[in-house]
Amino acid sequence: MTQPQHENMLEVKDIKVYFYDDEGRELKAVDGVSFSVRRGETIALVGESGCGKSVTSMALLQLVDSRGKIVGGKVIFEGQDLLLLPEAKMRTVRGKDIAVIFQEPASALNPVYTIGEQIIEAIILHQKLSFRQAREVAREMLRLVGIPEPEKRLNEYPHELSGGMKQRAMIAMALSCRPKLLIADEPTTSLDVTIQAQILELIRELQKKLGMSVILITHDLGIVADMSQRVVVMYAGKVVEEADRTEIFKNPLHPYTIGLLRSIPRLDREQTKLETIPGVVPDPSSFPVGCRFRGRCLYESPTCCEVPPPTLVGNNHLVNCHHWQEVRQGKETARF
Amino acid sequence: MNRGSKRWFKKFFSNFSAVLGFVLLLFFLGVALFAPYIAPPKPGRDAYMMPIVTWSSDPIPPSREHPFGVAGKRDIFYGVVWGTRTAFRIGIIVTISSTLIGLVIGSIAGYFGHLVDELLMRVTDIFMAVPFLVAALVLATILGAGLDKVIIALIVFSWMYPARLIRGNILQVKEEQFVMAAKALGVSDLVVILRHVLPNSIFPVLIQASMRMGSLVITAAALSFLGLGAPQGYADWGALLNYARNWMLGSQGQALQYWFMTVFPGLAMVLFVLAWNLVGDALRDIFDPRLRV
Amino acid sequence: MVFYILRRLLFLPLALFGVSLLVFTMIGFLSPYQRLATFINSPERLKSDNVDKLISFYGLDDPIFIQYFRWMKNVFQGNLGWSYVGKAPVLESILIRFPYTLELAIFSVIPIIFLGVSFGVLSALHHNKFLDHILRIFAVVGWSFPDFVFGLIVLMVFYSTLGWFPPGNLSIWAEEIVKSPAFRHITGMLTFDSLLNGRLDVFWDALRHLLGPVLTLTYVEFAFILRITRSSMLEVLRRDYVRTARAKGLEEKAVIHKHARRNALVPVATVSGQTIVGLLAGTVIVETIFNRTGIGSFMAIAAQQLDYASIMGGTLFFGLILILGNLCVDLSYAFIDPRVRLD
Repeated sequence: MTQPQHENMLEVKDIKVYFYDDEGRELKAVDGVSFSVRRGETIALVGESGCGKSVTSMALLQLVDSRGKIVGGKVIFEGQDLLLLPEAKMRTVRGKDIAVIFQEPASALNPVYTIGEQIIEAIILHQKLSFRQAREVAREMLRLVGIPEPEKRLNEYPHELSGGMKQRAMIAMALSCRPKLLIADEPTTSLDVTIQAQILELIRELQKKLGMSVILITHDLGIVADMSQRVVVMYAGKVVEEADRTEIFKNPLHPYTIGLLRSIPRLDREQTKLETIPGVVPDPSSFPVGCRFRGRCLYESPTCCEVPPPTLVGNNHLVNCHHWQEVRQGKETARF
Repeated sequence: MNRGSKRWFKKFFSNFSAVLGFVLLLFFLGVALFAPYIAPPKPGRDAYMMPIVTWSSDPIPPSREHPFGVAGKRDIFYGVVWGTRTAFRIGIIVTISSTLIGLVIGSIAGYFGHLVDELLMRVTDIFMAVPFLVAALVLATILGAGLDKVIIALIVFSWMYPARLIRGNILQVKEEQFVMAAKALGVSDLVVILRHVLPNSIFPVLIQASMRMGSLVITAAALSFLGLGAPQGYADWGALLNYARNWMLGSQGQALQYWFMTVFPGLAMVLFVLAWNLVGDALRDIFDPRLRV
Repeated sequence: MVFYILRRLLFLPLALFGVSLLVFTMIGFLSPYQRLATFINSPERLKSDNVDKLISFYGLDDPIFIQYFRWMKNVFQGNLGWSYVGKAPVLESILIRFPYTLELAIFSVIPIIFLGVSFGVLSALHHNKFLDHILRIFAVVGWSFPDFVFGLIVLMVFYSTLGWFPPGNLSIWAEEIVKSPAFRHITGMLTFDSLLNGRLDVFWDALRHLLGPVLTLTYVEFAFILRITRSSMLEVLRRDYVRTARAKGLEEKAVIHKHARRNALVPVATVSGQTIVGLLAGTVIVETIFNRTGIGSFMAIAAQQLDYASIMGGTLFFGLILILGNLCVDLSYAFIDPRVRLD
């Protein structure tokens, strides 16, 4: 189609978020992460908990908690660097251009205000509407996300809704100002499996309807396969691999990505046992020098003490590993 | 355990207010221990009775002979020094006794649960239904004046707090996985409580006790201040402040010249209570930020 | 909700029964001679040969449970004995004095909660910065100040030296106006009554007399509210819904004052209730120091003069206030926090 379709709506360049603990140590929770999001596209940020994916997404909105600091990088959204915006300007981006839904709808909604009050607050903040009009919009949004009896729900408190309904209300709130980009931070992790599917379907549907881009943060590769066009795999505060969805599933080149893929149970193949990655994710205070996957990696060699260079290995396929060629060969030999 | 406790110590002493509280406590402890040298009592007399140093009941401002002045015919310096001992004595006796009682009652309630628990908790409710100062005041009055009666009254109305804490801990631990596991293996509740619950409750109980120490000493002094605690002339901060009261009320325009009657015993009280509060606060922050007393 | 209130109200007599048992047990420590004093309102009746007869007349040598039932019967009829200090029946003496104490508590609780909450929020927002440290020191020192020490200092500075806040209830001229038949007593509280009577001068005088005790109670008590507000605010600020509010694009001011503070106030409301109840009791010392009329000073004087009837009646009354007060606190809790359903 035309040019804007392929234009990058968001470009994150080399962003760094460091935390400082009580003893003044520097914890490099996010250390030079780059990726981009095209208009209307869904990208998935994948990794185990603690790998920095949530911190990265919060850094886009400059909502890192007080012990953390964005120490470098660029967040170019629609041509301007958000990190250079003054706080007042930034507030007009939050909620209006970029909205978020969080993992735990139960704790992400304020317990002392009704659903209606919370949605209407967001609407009035960003749009020139009267209270009555805003209420109308809020009701429409609740209907759009499939909440029955929206008029009644507007006056209810979060604790009066079920988990799935709470998440729908959260989505209604996030989408009430028609954002261009939605950050969905593990939106279904805390929900029942059946409800998970409904919520994901809802997000996909609304994405089409409203034409927005989505950054989906998850540790569940099953969801990734369903939802996203591109996948960014993170490990210990760094991007280890980035590729289109099919490419990642068919041709993963980073040992960590392979490990992640092997650890999902599959029904289509007979598996004697589920594989796991040996060892645990290191603590941010003790990330290894060089490649951070060192110590858990089967391909480890002395060169891994140096930071692996990002290598473009194919169409839109980026991998950060010294040994990607061996990985590829290994897989080929294994195939025979 | 050893490395752990080292870290606690480090954390404790890196906190300014904790150190301040600790130093203040040490100071008071020193004053109490060396009271016979700091303010030597007359030989053959009860050291806790402040000796009468003048025949006029008018206060005398601080001088070389009486560094804190004279109130109610008695040397304030002597009273403040020996009052430190009184404060420690009341605080420690009441805290230890009430904690032991609370430990037993809380353990019984938590261990047996059900009806016994319900009954004991209602009893604690009743004991808490009357304001602490009022309750202590009434009981001390009924038992008759004297420091020992004040101590009894304070114990009777303060065992409920450790009892509730212990009971809560026992109920909580009863639900925990490792206890369930131990029970499944046939370990009896009693052994579980002795082995797991009580050792784990020691620190919360100690912290709570140190935070209660301040209010205990204040209440005891309040009773003496009202003339219901220590007998006439007994070295006690509250009793010393009682002398000041009439001079503050009675003489407009010149009360400031009697500042020493309030300031010295008052300062001792405030610093003493402050020390316990600071130490208690710091301990709480370090060991269990969620523990609210 | 209604069910909860009903259940709590049903428990009320039970709690009062417990308190009465406690009080009666304490009475049990008294000798029959001492207990006799609670029935006698004139010294003449206490001629020595009469005493033993009187003891059996009042049944003070009966088995203890019979005495308890007799005492309870009297309590239910509002007969708590004769108050030597109040020179009137105990119940009457208490009821006359209670409005004074209530007035002091009302006037104190306003600055306590206002200062406690605003400084607590401020302290939390400046977490571990200079202002936080200053406020915390200020608070912990106030927390450590016995009310009688601070009260004496207030007297020394603001009355004896500056002459601003005199002790007592009223000046002599105002007292005369209040005692005159033209002055109508509606609430029993001097400030409100003088306003209702349209006497601004008396109102001002009553207020001036209140300020010393109010200042004392405020400094000693607000630290508690500050500490609770601060820690609760710090906890709330870490919550997800605060992040949600920020992600909406709200201003930091709105995030804090609308979304965080309201949640942080939930525990504060509980302890504020306790503070009010505690204030009613804590007036024992402050009323005594400032020479004010009230049930606190009544209790102190009764204790000093060994007026057992007044002490027992007062204790029962305090128990009643505390139990009712806590009930109100629990109920108000449900209105502040929609999650609490009370069932």
